[in-house]
Amino acid sequence: MRLEEIDAGDTLGHRALIGFISLVSGMRLPDAARVAFYHQEFLGGTLGGWTQATMRGPSDWRIGERELMAALVAKWNSCAFCTGAHSAIAAKDIDPSLVQAAMNDFEAADISPKLKAMLKFLQKMTREPVTLTAADARSVLQTGVTKQALEDGIAVGALFNIVTRYADALSFAMPSSEEFDKAAVMLLKRGYG
Amino acid sequence: MAASEPANHRSRADALRRRIATASALTPSELRRAALERSADGPPLVPPYDALVTQIGIAAYRVTDAQVSAVRSVLGSDKAAFEVVMSAAVGAGLMRFDRAMQAAKDASDAP
Repeated sequence: MRLEEIDAGDTLGHRALIGFISLVSGMRLPDAARVAFYHQEFLGGTLGGWTQATMRGPSDWRIGERELMAALVAKWNSCAFCTGAHSAIAAKDIDPSLVQAAMNDFEAADISPKLKAMLKFLQKMTREPVTLTAADARSVLQTGVTKQALEDGIAVGALFNIVTRYADALSFAMPSSEEFDKAAVMLLKRGYG
Repeated sequence: MAASEPANHRSRADALRRRIATASALTPSELRRAALERSADGPPLVPPYDALVTQIGIAAYRVTDAQVSAVRSVLGSDKAAFEVVMSAAVGAGLMRFDRAMQAAKDASDAP
């Protein structure tokens, strides 16, 4: 972590909480959680609240599909931490071999046409946002994705284009595969709120 | 909004954008707004902010220790440097959100 105060915690209460959670969970509390505790007066609940609503609120997309979207946005942004974290969570809700196949090549993977179209849109949104047009959106809507579901997917894309950037700018420590797996169980259940 | 309602993502995005500009913060609002815009290909900032903010916008995985520590050194605290990092990250994400939502709106509005 490039900013040491985030790693340690910025208040006595946060330091104690970080230590307690690490002890109880049997693993170092991941940096994503340390950031969530840090300087809370700055963003308040605006980013965390939107993330919770997007990733765990009502949607036509199941949780695993949203986590897969997040993992692929992370891959396209070359964010190793978020790629690992969110593909691990996706694999708790969707067949792990299907998650792996989609992570390798989503266009060839045996996922639904709706999800495939949404991922194609998110890939362009991530890599070439200024080239997005109504035709790209229509390609998603024509598979039967509703307008709300398209916006839900767009929100995942926006949020993980934010999260991957601060994760890498701050240089999040990489958990082991076992730690990603343990954290995935907790995040699937508790979400981001 | 009740938890059973679908999210109003536009409202959430606008609230985040406003928060960056108006939050109780250590850095000047102008700096945070400029970082928000710069990471979305807006006007350059003065050194050392521009190198860090631009890198976050283009390819955050290439941000260096030196870029972060230069900003931290000028601002004098981890919290202030954090505010610049987050403003840049949010700017890049919200630019993509805006573009995508416009594409969605244009698709829905077309006859």
